[in-house]
Amino acid sequence: MQSRWDIGTPERPTINSETEKLKTELLTLNMGPQHPATHGVLRIEIKTDSEIVAHAIPHLGYLHRCMEKHSEHLDYRGVIPFVDRLDYLAAMSMEWTYVAAVEKMLGTEVPRRAELLRVMTAELQRIASHLVAFGTYILDLGPQTVFLYAFEMREKILRMFEEVSGARMLYNYIWVGGVWNDWTDEQLKNVANFCDEMELEAKKYYDLNSSNQVFIKRTAHVGVMTTQDCFDFGATGPVLRGSGFNWDLRKNQPYSLYNEFDFDVCVGTGEIGQVGDCYNRYIVRMNEVIESIKIIRQVLTKLEPGSVMGKVPKIIKLPKGEVYMKHECPRGELGIHLVSEDGGKTPYRLKVKSPCFTHISMIPRVAPGQMIADFVATVGSTDIVLGEVDR
Amino acid sequence: MLNQLAETINRNIQGANAQAFIPEDAKLHGSVTIEATKLFEVATWLRSNKELPFNVLQVISAVDYLDYFEVCYMFANFNPEDMRDVILKVKLTDRVNPNLDSICSIYASANFQEREAFDMMGVRFNNHPDHRRILCPDDWEGFPLRKDYVYPKMYNGMEVFPDAKMNFEDREFEARQKLISKAQNTASTDV
Repeated sequence: MQSRWDIGTPERPTINSETEKLKTELLTLNMGPQHPATHGVLRIEIKTDSEIVAHAIPHLGYLHRCMEKHSEHLDYRGVIPFVDRLDYLAAMSMEWTYVAAVEKMLGTEVPRRAELLRVMTAELQRIASHLVAFGTYILDLGPQTVFLYAFEMREKILRMFEEVSGARMLYNYIWVGGVWNDWTDEQLKNVANFCDEMELEAKKYYDLNSSNQVFIKRTAHVGVMTTQDCFDFGATGPVLRGSGFNWDLRKNQPYSLYNEFDFDVCVGTGEIGQVGDCYNRYIVRMNEVIESIKIIRQVLTKLEPGSVMGKVPKIIKLPKGEVYMKHECPRGELGIHLVSEDGGKTPYRLKVKSPCFTHISMIPRVAPGQMIADFVATVGSTDIVLGEVDR
Repeated sequence: MLNQLAETINRNIQGANAQAFIPEDAKLHGSVTIEATKLFEVATWLRSNKELPFNVLQVISAVDYLDYFEVCYMFANFNPEDMRDVILKVKLTDRVNPNLDSICSIYASANFQEREAFDMMGVRFNNHPDHRRILCPDDWEGFPLRKDYVYPKMYNGMEVFPDAKMNFEDREFEARQKLISKAQNTASTDV
């Protein structure tokens, strides 16, 4: 007997033959290699379901310049300009890592003044690199003001570097045994003035953008990379710190003179958004600028007159063996695996562990399920430089 | 640390034959060499053990020594209280078809790194989910970072390395030529 509440199985909607023919399939979309949001020549093949990304496959190699192969035919000093061109936005840090690897094998003692100058230039470079990173990132998402301010300040750093090294971006300034050129007192005074100015500017950028509701809507809870993801993929630098994990080589495994300086490691806190999202990666970079200023100020108080070049043989010959040298660069840990032959004048093998390469490999993990606009925000927040990825 | 690690690997994985290499020169970095066939088991153990865990694979670097390949895995433990890193090496004597087990399923970072090792050195990885070239174009021939690599003259009908522009008297090229001739004399190179 049928109950009055039993309405039976609902009648199926009739499907006419026209709609039946329609089927859904994924659309392939190529983002790049000339897409402005990829900051270089990266092509990402996206399979989209309307506005939602189903898969993303990065295609690399558009900027492959065979740097590792070239370096096998150059003497140890000749590699330095090639290392510059890896991450052209942070050339000082790249040089320093490579030179540190050579110096470790050679057993050179670097004069204290040179080592301090290296710390100072590397930190200035970190500021310049982060200015580009968040300047262009904000530009990607709409607001243009911060970008213009940031590039103005970056230009001041580049001008200071140009005064001492002769080049704006590719310096060849840090040499095996020390640095090429000493900073004069006047130039150091410029650095001190720049620090005061930069501190105010950094606060201005923070006030301008960090509580901008449109920016927060675009970045908070977007592109979440958890700490576990970072470990799986070997991510380092602001990406790892943005995920809430306190890890900085300058603090954890202090190289050079970093154990003498007092500074904090900036970690994503999740006050806005959640840890590991685009907003936290952005805020880590913003705070790191302040920490770098702290380090530079301490360097300036410690600097004493002296030589800037240690004793290095005219032709560098390294003992047979290998080192794997890691430094904390603006984008993450750069590793140099240097293998040498006995008495060889050229590296036998030079392998560069690029932080951006590992960050790109995370894109297929975070992309599925995102909107295309969010995907652009995610790629921008990892702050990749393709010169370093493709080498 | 290296001795202790080699010992623990040997204790836990049968036939891994782990040997620590500590250079006489204290400036250089030491390494641990294991049997190539046991790589997957060792990597699984490194990731999951409680005694000496390594939670990050940083990079895979392959080196060509003409007689054999050496694939170096740089592992690290990202933990402020318990930091360590190690270079784990496997030796591949087969030059024609060098292959290893892929460890993508254990460390996700191995995916791109193994692709690069294949692209540059021609080391093949079994069970890799996406075994393609990564930096060179897909139709590229040969493996550029091998020591006996001969530069192609033509690519897709384009002359890429004209004789007129080559300066064989440069010492860099001389060194290369020496290596090429050495490789052609010693190893059989029909790859």
